[in-house]
Amino acid sequence: MFEKDIYQLIRGLRAHKGNEREYIQKALQECRIEVKGQDMDQKATALLKLIYLEMFGHDMSWASFNVLEVMSSAKPDTEVLMLAENMLKKDLGSPDKATIALVLTTIPHVINPSMANSLLADLLPRMSHSHPAIRKKTIVTLYRLALVYPETLRPAWPKIKDRLLDETEDASVTAAIINVVCELGWRRPQDFLPLAPRLFELLTADKNNWMAIKIIKLFSTLTPLEPRLVKKLLPPLTSIIKTTPAMSLLYECINGIIQGGIMEAAEGTTEGDEVARLCVNKLRAMLVVEGDPNLRYVALLAFAKITASHADLVSQHSDVILECIDDADISIRTRALDLVVGMINANNLQGVVERLLRQLKTAGKAPTESDISHDRGMHEGIEPLADEDDEDMQATIKSKQQNTAQAPPLPNDYRASVIERILEMCSRDTYARMNDFEWYIGVLVDLVKQCPASVASGGFGAHHQHGLADASTFVADRVGDELLNVAVRVKAVRPEAAAAAQSLLLLDQREQIYPTGSSAGQGVLSAAAFIAGEYASMLPDTDAVLTSLAHTSSANLPAPTLASYLQAIPKVFAVLVAQHQGAWTESQQNNTTLLTARVIHFLEPLVHHANLEVQERAVEYLDLMRLAAEAASSEQTGSDSGGYTAPPLLFTQAIPALFTGMELNPVAAAALRNVPTPAELDLNTPINSNLQMLLVQAELDTDFDDDANDVYQFYNEKPSAVAVSSQQRPAAELLGEPTGSSRSSSYQQDPDVEPTDRDAMLRKKAERRDRNRDDPYYINPDRASGRSTPIHNILRNANGEELDVDAIPVMELKLGDSGSEANRPVPTKRAPPARKPKKHFEIAGDETLGDQTSTSLSASLSKSMLSRSQKSLLQVDSSGLSALSLSDNSTRNSASQIDIERRQAEEDEMSKAIKEVERLRLEMQRAQEGIRLRDMPEEGTMVKRKKKKKARVELLGDEAEATKGEADEVTTKKKKKKKRKEDDVAEPIAAQQDEGTDAETAPTKTKRKKKRLVTLDDDAVE
Amino acid sequence: MINAVLVFNNNGQPRLTKFYTQLDTSVQQRLLSEIFTLVAARPPSSCNFLPLPPLLAPASSSSTPSSQESNDAPSLVTYRHYATLYFIVISTSTESPLALLDLIQVYVEALDRLFENVCELDLIFNFETLHAVLAEMIVGGVVVETGLDKVVEGVRSQGRVAKRPVNESRGGLSQGIWAGR
Repeated sequence: MFEKDIYQLIRGLRAHKGNEREYIQKALQECRIEVKGQDMDQKATALLKLIYLEMFGHDMSWASFNVLEVMSSAKPDTEVLMLAENMLKKDLGSPDKATIALVLTTIPHVINPSMANSLLADLLPRMSHSHPAIRKKTIVTLYRLALVYPETLRPAWPKIKDRLLDETEDASVTAAIINVVCELGWRRPQDFLPLAPRLFELLTADKNNWMAIKIIKLFSTLTPLEPRLVKKLLPPLTSIIKTTPAMSLLYECINGIIQGGIMEAAEGTTEGDEVARLCVNKLRAMLVVEGDPNLRYVALLAFAKITASHADLVSQHSDVILECIDDADISIRTRALDLVVGMINANNLQGVVERLLRQLKTAGKAPTESDISHDRGMHEGIEPLADEDDEDMQATIKSKQQNTAQAPPLPNDYRASVIERILEMCSRDTYARMNDFEWYIGVLVDLVKQCPASVASGGFGAHHQHGLADASTFVADRVGDELLNVAVRVKAVRPEAAAAAQSLLLLDQREQIYPTGSSAGQGVLSAAAFIAGEYASMLPDTDAVLTSLAHTSSANLPAPTLASYLQAIPKVFAVLVAQHQGAWTESQQNNTTLLTARVIHFLEPLVHHANLEVQERAVEYLDLMRLAAEAASSEQTGSDSGGYTAPPLLFTQAIPALFTGMELNPVAAAALRNVPTPAELDLNTPINSNLQMLLVQAELDTDFDDDANDVYQFYNEKPSAVAVSSQQRPAAELLGEPTGSSRSSSYQQDPDVEPTDRDAMLRKKAERRDRNRDDPYYINPDRASGRSTPIHNILRNANGEELDVDAIPVMELKLGDSGSEANRPVPTKRAPPARKPKKHFEIAGDETLGDQTSTSLSASLSKSMLSRSQKSLLQVDSSGLSALSLSDNSTRNSASQIDIERRQAEEDEMSKAIKEVERLRLEMQRAQEGIRLRDMPEEGTMVKRKKKKKARVELLGDEAEATKGEADEVTTKKKKKKKRKEDDVAEPIAAQQDEGTDAETAPTKTKRKKKRLVTLDDDAVE
Repeated sequence: MINAVLVFNNNGQPRLTKFYTQLDTSVQQRLLSEIFTLVAARPPSSCNFLPLPPLLAPASSSSTPSSQESNDAPSLVTYRHYATLYFIVISTSTESPLALLDLIQVYVEALDRLFENVCELDLIFNFETLHAVLAEMIVGGVVVETGLDKVVEGVRSQGRVAKRPVNESRGGLSQGIWAGR
């Protein structure tokens, strides 16, 4: 077969333009064959080719074993290095420094804790290797070891520290150590404080800008712990800022001063003020400098870090920062946007928002299709295409190529983040900066049109179930929430909000607001429907809204939106029919009948909707509407009877009463927590001690009801008889009990403290009634008027007075005496006088209980979110390091002592294990001989022997650990065998036939084990 | 620390992928194409820092927790565009953005010295040299060397750096020699 080397592969790939895929498949096939061949060179070449192809996404994990084979070959320099611990250990001791270097760069990629533990002893001596390149790589590799196995640092850190303190050490080694210390530093800054003098010395020696940057970064984590450092650092940092020609160093100086809190620490002193001014001025200069967008970007990054502590300093430069939100570069815009959110005040809010809105409107939307075409990786992985034009590839890459510039459309996630930022700016601190809510509602409607097309239109709305938020998909929901928020909180603009909701809902405007074929912006519909329902009386065109809501096309909306629609429809309907307070005329009747018919037509198919929420609401309102239809058609009109007839009570009272009650007010997220637990609340006593029994009973009942389930039950459920029997009690027992037994054992109250006398009951009742007079959620049995609805009256009459409502504990919501707190205007602190004559809007704040603000909840929430937050891709977790202390010298020494002792112990254990294996081997041999006694075909073992030889190669790479595992394996096998032997003795003749075949495999295994050990021994001898 | 170094050309064809964390081949490719999508859309006048690609973006988009935990997560994508190639470095916040730009420059200059007027073809045919140069500069995600001379010297000490195969001469290439094969 024609065998390709790597060049031929690459060349071939380039030659097969158009059918690369086919070519690669062929090449992969060849590699598969080559890799299994005998020739080590050929194997190595095949692997090299596979590695090349892996870069293009062709998995090569299947070849990992062949990699080991190649590594184990005596031939050096195969260029293919992956894992195998003993191999690495051996190569670490190689006299050739290139080999050591290769191993050192390999280890970080393959390291795991147990491997780290075993490699540590081989790595440590390399730190004093004569060649600095080896020393620095060893130190970095030790750092990666420490990440997976923090104990590494106990023996390693003293040595690293000595290297750092050694002034004769090679500069590049020192720099590498600084890099490592910088990575370690932010985890445990306190451990590195003792190094401060040496670091300071290195910083002022001013030899290497790279190192200076890292030292400054390190210092910025140390200064918060040691305030005296600030004074020491200020002069050198100031001088660097003033003198250095390296922009990166200059920037990192400023950054370090900001991050290290040096600005705050030195505040008030002359040097401190000077440095603060210097920093901010330099940053400003970076922002305005022409032609270097990188400086603009990093300056914004630095500004963002200052805002937390020095908002005033940053806002002095708001002019230049605001300019950046219109920068041509989206990276810069995004950074500026982060900053701008913090700089918004009542004066500049509208200007900034309008600027951003203009940006969204003028830039085209990123077409989703083009995104997908770019994402080749998503579909079939990147293919190595034949290269397009070779001339291009010969262009020396040092000369920067200039492409023709074209303004790209805004990417969707940027679009989403702009919208989110706008909402954040406007709604911050309960609209503290908002002067004009009518304007804001207009902005919100505009934003709906700017919502980015969601990537997965099918997954739209899915977050309601899964709680997963994908920014680009759900901004529309956020806009909807805002609209709702404004409608609820700001009474004055409710009519405007209702009108806005109408404009979003109306079908004839749908084309314009929501582009066809995309669900972008549709997330707002749910909120819009709610507003339309809740404030239906304020809708400019109630009838049209109902028509749009109940349009057949609405049935295709995502379930959560549809559920909201279903809730809004009867509300709008109620308002519509209640609007006519006059006589019940024929036209009125026709109208109402038509309306009900339309709604019923819409609801009927939804009774079978897949979503339970939708289904339930549809069923409920369908019945209500049928009731309404009946009432409308049966009620005689005035013209029929010849006189004035009032419209049906159902329309004027019953249905409206369902939806009008106390006004909905915003409630703080933490309010529920502040509700005091009633003293008599006992959650531990079962509500019904018979519950289990009842459930079983209910299950039995439904069994008989539902024939269709029989088959399912037959196969899937435990025979119910068994379940019943476990619960069954003698019938006599049941009879003997008082009938009300289940009720008498209290739900919430301890029976002992339950007031038994009637007077006390009445007293309690009266007290509770008083307390709950204004509570909308409390149903007062004696209050016939007011909010008590007709339906409630009916219920009450039907059930009779004996229904003890008081026995149902009602949670009290102490919302102030007369709900005055609900309308409490938010203290509006606006320092600078408004530019425009400010309209006065009353904004309802969150209702809450007690003084504890919602912060506690949100804080704990965010904290738990943080801890749950997924590890980012590519992230190297260093959290293990934070538990390890390096500071104390004595413990460190003893610990490293312990470490060595432990290693010793491990080695002892290992030798013990090896002895154990040896012993087992002997036992097995004996056992095998025992089996051999039985007439087993001789050639059977012969065949196996051949196999064994083959297996030997594979086993070369095996580690000592594997032997341990084998030992266990062997013991279990051994036991099995013994057992089998015993069985044999019990029934020698009958079992003989089967045993023969069984035995054929059994001895092979034992033999194999033996061979492995032999191989290992050989290895040891080497 | 540095989480990954990527080199790909104007068409998104990878020339070097080096991840300092174990990552599935398919995820690698996905990340590569996400970054390519981002980088390809940028006009040349843009700055050299990319927003985080979707795969790397933190889970909560609205709030950026400034807690220490975020120091471990990659937060910076720095790139430079040279002729037909993009050089990309993904790193955490412990790296200095401007210094990373210089680091890429050193890398390219080292390649240029080793290949004498380096071009994409050199990298295609010598991808192991690309790796060798990188290994001299970054080990396990930590920068070990920034001095151009030392990097070049380190690579040369491992053996001769092959130029691209003899018959891949520049003159031959521009004649469209590949079309005939």
